[in-house]
Order: sequence, then structure tokens, then C-alpha cells
Amino acid sequence: MLEVPGRVRPYLRRAYSVADADREAGEVELLVKTIGVGTAALEDLAEGSSVHLLGPLGNGFGIEDLPIGARVAVVAGGIGAAPFPLLLRALQKRTIAGDFFFGGRGERDLALLNRFDGRVPGDTFLSTDDGSAGEKGRVTDLFRRRASAGRYARLYACGPMPMLAALAPIAADLRLPSQFSTEAEMGCGFGACLGCVIPGVEKPFIVSCTEGPILPSEKVKW
Amino acid sequence: MVKGADGGTGRLGDGEKESAVNPPSPRPPVSPSATESPLSVQLGPLRLKNPILTASGTFGYGLEFTDWVDLARLGGLCTKGLSLRPHAGNAPPRICETPAGMLNAIGLQNIGVEAFLSEKLPRLRSMGATVIANVWGDVEEDYVAIVKTLEGAQGLAAVELNISCPNVEKGGMLFGNSPSATASLVSRVRGATGFPLIVKLSPNAPNLVESARSARAAGADVLSLVNTFVGMSIDPETARPRLSFGTGGLSGPAIKPLAVRMVYQVARALPDTPLMGIGGISQLSDVLEFLAAGATAVQIGTANFVEPGVSQRLVEELGVYCARRGAPVATLVGRAHRCGLPAGEAGAEG
Repeated sequence: MLEVPGRVRPYLRRAYSVADADREAGEVELLVKTIGVGTAALEDLAEGSSVHLLGPLGNGFGIEDLPIGARVAVVAGGIGAAPFPLLLRALQKRTIAGDFFFGGRGERDLALLNRFDGRVPGDTFLSTDDGSAGEKGRVTDLFRRRASAGRYARLYACGPMPMLAALAPIAADLRLPSQFSTEAEMGCGFGACLGCVIPGVEKPFIVSCTEGPILPSEKVKW
Repeated sequence: MVKGADGGTGRLGDGEKESAVNPPSPRPPVSPSATESPLSVQLGPLRLKNPILTASGTFGYGLEFTDWVDLARLGGLCTKGLSLRPHAGNAPPRICETPAGMLNAIGLQNIGVEAFLSEKLPRLRSMGATVIANVWGDVEEDYVAIVKTLEGAQGLAAVELNISCPNVEKGGMLFGNSPSATASLVSRVRGATGFPLIVKLSPNAPNLVESARSARAAGADVLSLVNTFVGMSIDPETARPRLSFGTGGLSGPAIKPLAVRMVYQVARALPDTPLMGIGGISQLSDVLEFLAAGATAVQIGTANFVEPGVSQRLVEELGVYCARRGAPVATLVGRAHRCGLPAGEAGAEG
């Protein structure tokens, strides 16, 4: 009896945010944390293996409407930092300052920190729930203490949905326009299966893959 | 956003041998008309350019797929299930992956029949798509009202009745699970539409063959089978169901042998009823298997999510296969029934 390792899982594709991309080199960078069968399958791939990529799909963070010299806040929870290298680089290119708030449960959740070394066009603030790195506490509280009304022109955030839900009322209090990268399990990624909906304020459901995944926090029913 | 992981063909080692798609010895064509395309099929009153369709709920309104599929190349596309009024669907989470497949409880979110007619159908028609409107309702009157709204619509080829959705509180599967409810609904809709009428059966019915018989006797031109199987997935840590609806419909390669068995059974019981086979089809060998079981056409479902161009690829591969075999696709239908299996081999009914 001989078993050739094969897979019936993962079956569906998995959605990842683009961490950074180089158009000339034809390179796309993904930052991935192994949490389930899809990410484990990626981890198991040997260097140089081929994968099938369908994308880019959905929308991205918008910065074009920000005035030169503006200051924005970028809040990340754990692997939620994944989409921010490209955003921070784009902000820097437009001479827009960006403060980076990065939190996790413990130091291990901040493993991506070295990816941001010298690449934040502003200040970096760290927090962990257990105090093993940065300030002890939640990144949402850290942001609330540092942010004051009018300090930032926009809030960009990505992390677990409970973190985004905690951040939404803070942004509302500060009258701070926001772009949150929402998370939902996706079946197809192009609006066919309607599996990835998020409860909305103006309508019952927002289709995350085609209308998002970046959404203004006030459009989402948290 | 970028989608990673593997897609493409032959990704599931489901035991299909390469020889399964090698042409057996050629047979004389059943309908030797030289003017007909070797891929065209006749299902009762419905003539299709080929037997590859896409299944309702897995292909949106077709327009979502035009980056990957020339809709005119398909045998047909079944729309997202349409209701009389727009329907919001179920709260998330609506889907979760399971071994070799997925569970869904979308809850029939759709734009409603009026918006379909004004916003989607004209564009589908201009693209040359063969469009089958899949419809559902809470009560019989809803179905009747929808097909009356659709009556005479330009660019529509047929109507498919969804009496088998497991993810709504009312209607849906309730019609499909009772042969008498099936018969009553189908006969009322039959009287209200001039379009070819397809009835999509539920594999969750206590006795599928009886449901099929009822639908056919009440006026269905074609039966499509099967819809999803009711299933459930529970997070082992939190002990909560993974879907907000609790249960969901299982689809994907996991259900293929179950669906093949059901098509075989219904084909055996109702040999003169045209069937469309559905369930876990993602490769040419899957198509051939359903045809052999007695389906005249097939619908591609969940595979559309993983490989959005799969339907057109299968049309092309089937064309090459039939050309190599030197016989029209119609000769592939029902071959398994000529193998001389004892009746009991098909399993007990229901």
C-alpha cells in the first residue's frame, strides 16, 4: 500500500490581499499566516512551485483624493498588516504622512514588523494584549489615545472583524473618514456565489468581493 | 485582492483513470443527420447546441463570467433563482468548505424577476446566450406569477422550477419533498407558461423516483437532478454550526457518486424523460459519467467558483472527444444502462 500525498482540500480558492506588487518585475507579494487548510497547503509548497492566481479582484485602498502633505492613520491587527506595505509605499510616494498602529495578542502576532522597518512614512505605535511588545492593551485603545479630532485625514484599517467593529465607533466619534479592509469567507471572489456578504447599513448585505473588500466603516452594520 | 491556491484542471484525485476518457470503439450515430452539430442535444421541446450548461446559483446571471466564458458557446446557463420580488438572502456566514466540496446557505438572494428582465436578460440575449430562468417562490401563486411575468420574454429558452432549495424557511424544498406537492405545483405552472419546463429535483426527497414521476406526470418536459444535499458543519472548538442558517446544501465533487446514482435510478425508472445531470462535475470524465448514467445534458455547478472558465473548457473537450470518437454526443447517453446490471444494482429506490 503506497500513498502519494494528494489533496481533496483545499477545494475552493482562497482570497489574499496584495502586500506589495512590482509591475515592472511582474511580482506580487502575499503575506500569509498559516491558520487552516488553505494556508497550510501554501506553506507545504516547495520553493519554485506554481500556483493559479485569479486577480486582482475587488477594490483597493484609495489615496488619490488625499491632499499632498496630509496625515493618515493605518491600524493593523496581527496578519491584518498584510495589505499595508503597498499602501504605505504609495502614501510615501505622494508625500502623505502615515502613522502605523500595529497590535496583536502577543509579540508573535507582530512578526511582520520587520517588513515595515524604515517603510512607515510617520510614527509607529505597537501594542499587545499581554504586554510582551509595545504598550499593553488593544490596538484600538492605543489608537483612541493617540488620535484626536482633526489629527488625521483618513483611517485605514485591517484586522479581525471584532477589531474593526471596535474601531468603527472611534472613527465615528472623531468624524474620521475610514477605509476598512473587511474579511469574509469567499467562495468565488467575483460576485457569483454571494457567499461573502457583510451586513450593510444602506442595504441588507454588501457583497465583499465585488463591492469591497475595502469599505467605509459607516456603510457596515457592525 | 489576489486569489491564491491551486485551481485548474485535474486537481482532485478522485480515482478517475485516464482510460475513462479514451474513446471506446465507435458506434453508429443515433441520429445521422449530417447537418446537425455532433454536440447538439434534444431534451423534449428544448434543443441545445451542446449538453454543457451551468447550474443555478453557481453562475450568477451569467454576466459575472464574461471574462472567462463566451456565453454563446455554452449549451445554456441557468440563472440565479429568481423570485417575484428582490430577496436579501440569509445572514452570513453563508458558506464553508468541506472535504471535496462546500456547504452553502445563501438563501436565494436575487434581484427579482422584474430587474432580471430589464437589466440582465437583454444583455445576455445580445451575447447570444441560451438562458434558462430558474424560479422559486414561497407558495404556488408565487411560481405562477413569476412564470407569467416571464412569459414571452425575448431571449429566454426555458424555465427551471426550483423545488429543491434547502436554505429557505418556506417553499423551496418543501415542494420537492412531497410528490403530491410537486404534482400540484408543476401542473399549475405548466398551465401558466409556454416555455419548455424543467423541474429541478431535490436529492433530499424521501423518494426521488416518485418525485420525478410526479413532476413528469404533471407536465415537466425535462428533469434536472440533483440540487444540493442538506448537510451541516460544526466548529469543533466553539461547537457552533459554521453557517448562520445552521444547515446548508452540500455540493462539489463530494456529491458526485450520489448524484450519478440518482440520475441512473431516475433514468431507469423513467427512460423516456429527458434528464439534466448535476453534481460535482469538473472534468470531462465527470460529464461522460453522467451521460452514461442517462443524462442527456449536464449542469456545471460549484466548479464554476474554482475555475470560472470550466464550462467552456468542457464544451471544447467534449467536442474533441466526440470528434475523436466519430459519433455525436447523443450516442453517449445512457450507455451504462446497456451494461446489463441487475435492477438491484441501482440501489433501492428512495
